[in-house]
Amino acid sequence: MIDSVCSLCVSSLVISVEGLPRPTIIIPEQHILIEGDDEDNPYVAKVIRLFGDGDGEQMKAVVQWFVRVSEVPLSKLKLLGREPHPQEIFHYQGRICDDEVNVKHLDSATPFPNSDDKDTMYVKLSWDSKAFRVVDSALVESACEPASPSSQLPHAVSGVETESLHSATKLSASKCLSTKRRNLATRTPGVCKKLELHSKLLLVAATLRSSQRKSALFAVCLIRNLLDNQQDLNSDGEDEDEFVPSQKELNGCSEEDEDDGEEEAGLDSEEEILVKKGRGTTAVFRTPRSKQKTHSLTRTPRKNPNKKIMPGTPRTPHQATPSIPCRSLPTRQPANILEEARARLHVSSVPESLPCREQEFQDIYSFVESKIIDGTGGCMYISGVPGTGKTATVHEVMRCLQHAADVDEIPTFHFIEINGMKMTDPHQAYVQILQNLTGQKATPDHAAALLDKRFNNPAPRKQTTVLLVDELDLLWTRKQNVMYNLFDWPTQRHARLVVLTIANTMDLPERIMINRVASRLGLTRMSFQPYSFKQLQQIIMSRLNKVKAFEEDALQLVSRKVAALSGDARRCLDICRRATEICEHSTTNPSATGLVGMSHVMEALNEMFSSAYITAIKCASMQEQLFLRAVIAEFRRLGLEEATFQQVFVQHQALCRLEGLQPISVSEGLAVCQRLGACRLLLLEPSRLGVLQRVRLNVSQDDVLYALKAD
Amino acid sequence: MSKRKVKDVHRPIGECITQVQQILRERFCHQQLPDRPEGLEAQYKHLLELLRRSAIQGESNSVLIVGPRGAGKTMLLQCVLRDLLQEKEAQKNLLQVHLNGLLQTDDRIALKEITRQLNLENVVGDKVFVSVQTEYYEQILENKTAEKSPGDRSSSRPVLFVLDEFDLFAHHKNQTLLYNLFDVSQSAQTPVAVVGVTCRLDVLELLEKRVKSRFSHRQIHLLSSFGFSEYLQTVRTQLSLPDDFTDRGFAQDWNSSIQTLCEDKSVEEALQRHFNSSKDFRSLHMLLMLCLSRVSVSKPSIKPADLLDASRLCLCDAKANMLHGLSILELCLIIAMKHLNDVYEGEPFNLQMVHNEFKKFLQRKSNSMYNFEQPVVMKAFEHLQQLELIRPVDGSSAKTQREFQLMRLMLDHSQIMEALQKYPQCPTDVKQWAMSAFG
Repeated sequence: MIDSVCSLCVSSLVISVEGLPRPTIIIPEQHILIEGDDEDNPYVAKVIRLFGDGDGEQMKAVVQWFVRVSEVPLSKLKLLGREPHPQEIFHYQGRICDDEVNVKHLDSATPFPNSDDKDTMYVKLSWDSKAFRVVDSALVESACEPASPSSQLPHAVSGVETESLHSATKLSASKCLSTKRRNLATRTPGVCKKLELHSKLLLVAATLRSSQRKSALFAVCLIRNLLDNQQDLNSDGEDEDEFVPSQKELNGCSEEDEDDGEEEAGLDSEEEILVKKGRGTTAVFRTPRSKQKTHSLTRTPRKNPNKKIMPGTPRTPHQATPSIPCRSLPTRQPANILEEARARLHVSSVPESLPCREQEFQDIYSFVESKIIDGTGGCMYISGVPGTGKTATVHEVMRCLQHAADVDEIPTFHFIEINGMKMTDPHQAYVQILQNLTGQKATPDHAAALLDKRFNNPAPRKQTTVLLVDELDLLWTRKQNVMYNLFDWPTQRHARLVVLTIANTMDLPERIMINRVASRLGLTRMSFQPYSFKQLQQIIMSRLNKVKAFEEDALQLVSRKVAALSGDARRCLDICRRATEICEHSTTNPSATGLVGMSHVMEALNEMFSSAYITAIKCASMQEQLFLRAVIAEFRRLGLEEATFQQVFVQHQALCRLEGLQPISVSEGLAVCQRLGACRLLLLEPSRLGVLQRVRLNVSQDDVLYALKAD
Repeated sequence: MSKRKVKDVHRPIGECITQVQQILRERFCHQQLPDRPEGLEAQYKHLLELLRRSAIQGESNSVLIVGPRGAGKTMLLQCVLRDLLQEKEAQKNLLQVHLNGLLQTDDRIALKEITRQLNLENVVGDKVFVSVQTEYYEQILENKTAEKSPGDRSSSRPVLFVLDEFDLFAHHKNQTLLYNLFDVSQSAQTPVAVVGVTCRLDVLELLEKRVKSRFSHRQIHLLSSFGFSEYLQTVRTQLSLPDDFTDRGFAQDWNSSIQTLCEDKSVEEALQRHFNSSKDFRSLHMLLMLCLSRVSVSKPSIKPADLLDASRLCLCDAKANMLHGLSILELCLIIAMKHLNDVYEGEPFNLQMVHNEFKKFLQRKSNSMYNFEQPVVMKAFEHLQQLELIRPVDGSSAKTQREFQLMRLMLDHSQIMEALQKYPQCPTDVKQWAMSAFG
């Protein structure tokens, strides 16, 4: 099925496609898409140089890889510090991938999946599997330096060797459609580099793909290999159907953010790479995943240090305790968009990543990681008002570290979590730690002794223990020995204990800890600031994850309001959930778009934040209202904010007469007073004092007068 | 009505009356639920939706029902639960735990009660025991909230926690129970719905900031905002017999008599007075119960006079009634105290001062009264103290001699005057002494 084999030259590769009038030429410095395991996200690469191996059948290309967002491990994505643009790619500087690609063609009949808006890729940063760096624009832009040895591509040199180093590459689906389309599309401006490709590239070397990272992908490759072998020269376009985009959701991001980001970075169109296929449409190659599927005959497989977060954290198995019986009927799935949004906005639904806490995440991550790697111990104090993501961030760090440990990147460790609020007594902390560590049960004193022994004595093959102490302030005792021990153990030489403590107040160590405890806690502190309105907005957006249920303005209102009050993310989510409910019930008027609008959000905000005092006064009975007026009258007369019931009652009788009501008896008056006291509109002394009890207002006088006037 | 009474045999009427008593007492005393909550439709819908989502979709929620006493908070909740449990899907899933802040006064008791109500006690028998001894608090909580395994949310049955008198739970040590309940409701564990019922409007301020942050801030306010016409309507429906009453004729007669009763001017006035005083349905039920108890075979309907009597009974002053039962000497002492209060502007007094005042009265004005011995006066004084008509001033030590212990009067002048009016055979000079400006 090879229509033509590319002409052998080092400067360009000519590929011709069936159904296409002209052969397409690939020249170095062009950007190409190479088919990978993910049909929707072909790999992006730049051709650095082309060479043949003398045999007319095989062509090789040296490429510079670019990494898509979805290919960057989740844990490292944090480092980016912002939401990545779906079309964003990173200049790859990792050491582990081969950059030789055999450009071959294969037949494919499936339609080209890309839409026009996916044609353009953006690159701003480089990625070397550890950190992001701002990419040198010259590197991307360098137009006419094929395989410059001075560039950061050490493999370019090895690529020139005539060894048959090649990676299997396949062209993507659906070149036919795209080639048809390219005729329609207009040519893009000259800044954009175009890459002419052909849909008919053949995979020649049915390759051994050695440097696999993920076993799942490995399996995929094997399947592919088989298929490739079988259908060597035949069309094998159908094999793409099995591959489902795996991390597609990760690409979600609003256009707006990208715009902002670009402005900040001072990027302009020069740094855009427009990957074109033919004239104007994207060429989609299918290639082995850049860092995993490259095939090398001479090189030994390399281990890839990249991390990937497994869905679902491994949790410690729990003992078989009696539990609530399982439900007999399954839960019902959300039926419409509002219900879906509500489910997503529930505080309990753990998001894939925590936006707006990247810096904190990174700090904690590196702190714990370094301690684990060094096998030392340490303490960290994390503070912040409720609902700012302290516990969530630590849990996220632990998930990532746990995963890193699973792939043998760091030594394994033990993670224990205790919560001061979940214990009746601070000394229970010992018991829980011991039980989590060893499964033993002991009394607090005994547990403390055992733990002391464990942490103070050297032991072979000791794992690092990471201990998370939530709500630290509740572990306070008069002698503070619990806190002392918790912070003293990490300082022991053999302890290998990392203690992360969380509390609400920033100055807790100074306020409640005695010196020797505060000193052991050390100065590694971190404080979580309340979320700003932009962050809150981003949090909601990321939770909603493209479920379009809110109007833009409505979201902004919620986040601004909450940010002004507390910056509590929980509050923000609760309000949004309530707003969806209100919206759902008010869909009777057909004018609404079905989205949650300003009016719904306003209603939810009013429900949650407005105090009920004024309505309560308005709804109170006549005598209760009169009594409140009598209280105020008496306060004015006395010039004090306090009066006895007897004094108020005199005023009350007078007011009754003024209003033309029959004066009430003392017992009745006391009952009225008690009712107001039960609602806490009034503050009262114990009722056994009878007429002598003192009365105070719990609302401001202005509020009372306002409520009564409007009546 | 009367015609029917004459014509019919007494037997059926007696039966009818018994039935009427039974039906209406059920309403007034057993708080029988109405078919649907009147005037609370919006709140009803909100709560029902919320609990239904918890039961069926396994969503965790927390909500507070806030409103003054007798506004129908518990009635609303019970109505919602009744209607929710009629749905098969909800009935099979939902587990309920009812706690009351007045009963479960601390977290340990509350936990034991939760364990009991969730039927976990036989399985955790030994653990409950352990927990009592060494406070394995967390363990019980874990049991309660089931294990934190992923995917738990969809598999385990939702639990509904109803916390009556919610504000009292906020006084528990560290608010541990509330923290844990709300924490569970905000994490992907067993779905729980926490419903707090309270009458305190400032209940959120009682919560500690961590607990508050975990609470969803949903509040359903039940503020009785109805007017007098609705109140009257409620009285009518509360007293009317249902259509499915066995004796149709009797029910019609009864209902029309209720109709005329409610249209009576004096009745309306009395009800208006009650309405002005409080919108509480419990006090209304008390009034209607008093009316109902006067219905008998010989008087098979509620007459306006009955209601007026009942109203008077409800509104009368308790302390003034107590004064009717005092002896003349005790009454004289009370009057003397009143004068002392006038003279010294509410400063406390002691027995000696009261006795002196009394003696002054005897010397100057009295012709019907004569002096009593000191011990007799002392005895009367102590009796007044037992009745809590006077009480010692706070902080006055018990060491001082009883004659000189400082006391305060717990009565208002109006109560004394009212009692004197009605006191049987009160001597005129005592009355005059009471009325005079100065002793």
